[in-house]
Amino acid sequence: MTFADLVYWCGLVYGGLGLGVAAAFLVFGLDRVDRSARGSFAFRPLLVPGLVLLWPVVIANWRRLLLRGT
Amino acid sequence: MSAGYKAVSWTRSKILYDVVLIAGIVAYITIFFRFGALPGPDGLSPDAPTLAMKAFGSCGFLLLTIVLAIGPLARLDRRFLPLLYNRRHFGVITCAIAASHASAALGWYFAFSDLPPLKALFAADTSFGQVSGFPFVILGVAAFLILLVMAATSHDFWLTFLGAPTWKSIHMAVYGAYALVVGHLALGALQDARSWVLPAVCAVSVVTLILLHLAAALSQNATDACIATASSPPWVVAGKLSAFAEGRAIVVHLADAEPVAIFRHDNMLSAVTNVCAHQNGPLGEGCVIDGLITCPWHGFQYRLADGCAPPPFTERIATYRLALDGDTVLLDPQPNPPGTYVEPIRVGSPVA
Repeated sequence: MTFADLVYWCGLVYGGLGLGVAAAFLVFGLDRVDRSARGSFAFRPLLVPGLVLLWPVVIANWRRLLLRGT
Repeated sequence: MSAGYKAVSWTRSKILYDVVLIAGIVAYITIFFRFGALPGPDGLSPDAPTLAMKAFGSCGFLLLTIVLAIGPLARLDRRFLPLLYNRRHFGVITCAIAASHASAALGWYFAFSDLPPLKALFAADTSFGQVSGFPFVILGVAAFLILLVMAATSHDFWLTFLGAPTWKSIHMAVYGAYALVVGHLALGALQDARSWVLPAVCAVSVVTLILLHLAAALSQNATDACIATASSPPWVVAGKLSAFAEGRAIVVHLADAEPVAIFRHDNMLSAVTNVCAHQNGPLGEGCVIDGLITCPWHGFQYRLADGCAPPPFTERIATYRLALDGDTVLLDPQPNPPGTYVEPIRVGSPVA
């Protein structure tokens, strides 16, 4: 496998997992971790790029905030 | 602000800001296409895809330079403060221009490749050990990823979700992105530049940015001279009353504590933390608008007496006690809990 193959496939897998996490977070997580989001829907698509790019951070913070009971 | 994530209310100044920004970009791209298509010294004219790549690339570099210059400019001269208010839009548009440059480059260089363009991008050149032929594209990709993360996390949700220190750290990476862009240019476009214009623009941009940041740092050091000196406990001396200008603040730096902004409004003094609850903006560099402290970064507002944002917003910042000893202003460095009411001190007749 070449360097280009490695970067390409890592990018695809990372992005694919990110899309899954983004969908799960927007459906199940957002309202529970941020009270200001309740009742606001138009802004949610704006979060998708960030959720895909930072999904490991999103999972860590989601878990931390749930454990804290926010 | 924090009263739910509703669509931003478009004020006249915000619309004007965005219109001027977009009109400037359109004008730049149009002029670039008009004059960039002229034949060079070798009598050859660049083709349209190359022009598009260069137009968007140079536009993105200049936008990034300007967006980084706004901060120090606003510190040096308050007349630049309005440029700070919508800097978020500026950053997102810069990322969009960088994406246009990347798209044009991918389409031009890898249109006929057997590989998918994104894979071909990393397979094209791997001569990491030499300047000539160094895979400068990777530097551009890294810079673009940083800009993308910044644009993607520009919504207020991310500030709440990640916390201000993490969010701020992510967005300070813009300086790393700028360094990568300069490297991308130096090892790429500048290697075969056929005129003095691009090297000159790059050099002037980088030197100007460095000088602006140095000047702003020196100016900040002069402000830091306003360091509180001890008085009878718990008070510290914040400064002479004559130093406090109407409608403005003086920032007092305390040992091992957040700086405090002391505002004079309507000839009354009030003290709050210098750190905005939104993105840690320097409140003391803002001003009082409609009787409210207004953060210079994004216009978040707080009441002078209790540090509370006006309803329906819910942000609160710490307040401090003040006292007068003759013409000397004294400050109790112990912060009150955010939102605590402290009676402002009258130091003159109400301003008409």
